[in-house]
Amino acid sequence: MNPVLAEIYSTIIPSAPYVLGAYVLVFIVLFVYVFFTVSKLKSAEKKMDALEERVEELLK
Amino acid sequence: MPDRKDRNMRVGGPLDRFAPIGLLVGAVLAAVGLVYAFTVTPLVNGASVDGVEVINGVAVSNMLLLSQKIFYWHMPVALVSFIGIAFAAFFAVRFLMTKDARYDLRSKLAMEVGLVFVLCTMVTGLLWTRFEWGVWWTWEPRLTTYFILMLLVFGYFILRNAIADPERRAAYSSVLGILILVDVPICFMVTRLIPSSIHPVVFRSDSGMSMDMVVPLLLSVVGFGLIAVGLYRLRLRAQLIEERVNAVQEALED
Repeated sequence: MNPVLAEIYSTIIPSAPYVLGAYVLVFIVLFVYVFFTVSKLKSAEKKMDALEERVEELLK
Repeated sequence: MPDRKDRNMRVGGPLDRFAPIGLLVGAVLAAVGLVYAFTVTPLVNGASVDGVEVINGVAVSNMLLLSQKIFYWHMPVALVSFIGIAFAAFFAVRFLMTKDARYDLRSKLAMEVGLVFVLCTMVTGLLWTRFEWGVWWTWEPRLTTYFILMLLVFGYFILRNAIADPERRAAYSSVLGILILVDVPICFMVTRLIPSSIHPVVFRSDSGMSMDMVVPLLLSVVGFGLIAVGLYRLRLRAQLIEERVNAVQEALED
């Protein structure tokens, strides 16, 4: 590659890990929060189902 | 028939049915924005080089920067963090006006979603700063005001955990939530008051952004906005179900 082109593209490879890292970290942060949110929702819905069963038993 | 206030406070309605779909559509839009930014949007120019080369029919005499691509998610998550904090402050005001605990819950959850996006903004910003300037941090105006914002949001949750009485907790948190909102326009406007090379003013008529840059940016803004709304509604639904379960359990035990 000629020296001018090499200089033009000189920051591409060194910056790639930072660019990749930025996008991956955003994905991870959001994924963790989505996981946390869905877990809380599932847990709450399970408790509601258990409560409904208990109420049905009490009404029998 | 539920009155207007109750209808707005309900779960299980159209907004809750929309939440998972909104989350998915938001993720797709943000991903499309990302792909667009890397495939269609050209690399931006950096420092000048000694010489000129013709690349794809265009004379180039500057370094081409890949690191600028971080912008296409960094700015949208920052914007969504501001919006989340704004909604938290809105619900805080509503709580102080009505003393209705349901607004306090909504304020807390909006602040939580805002915090998630604050963290996204910080990690992308730190990595960009590290590459461009060789340091993880610099006390530049917007970075400093945003750091203060992040500390205030942490403080909000520390305050909530420190107060046992629900009414006092809600009142004090609401006041802090409104105060946190004061920092949002400061963060946004500071680069207009104190020019910075790290954070140029983007929202202006002569920003120099081409349509190829605006399209992925808008896709990501809308995408992350939908993700934030979807997450907020899912959290709200979980919290309200939990509260109803606790209330019914207590009633059964009585």
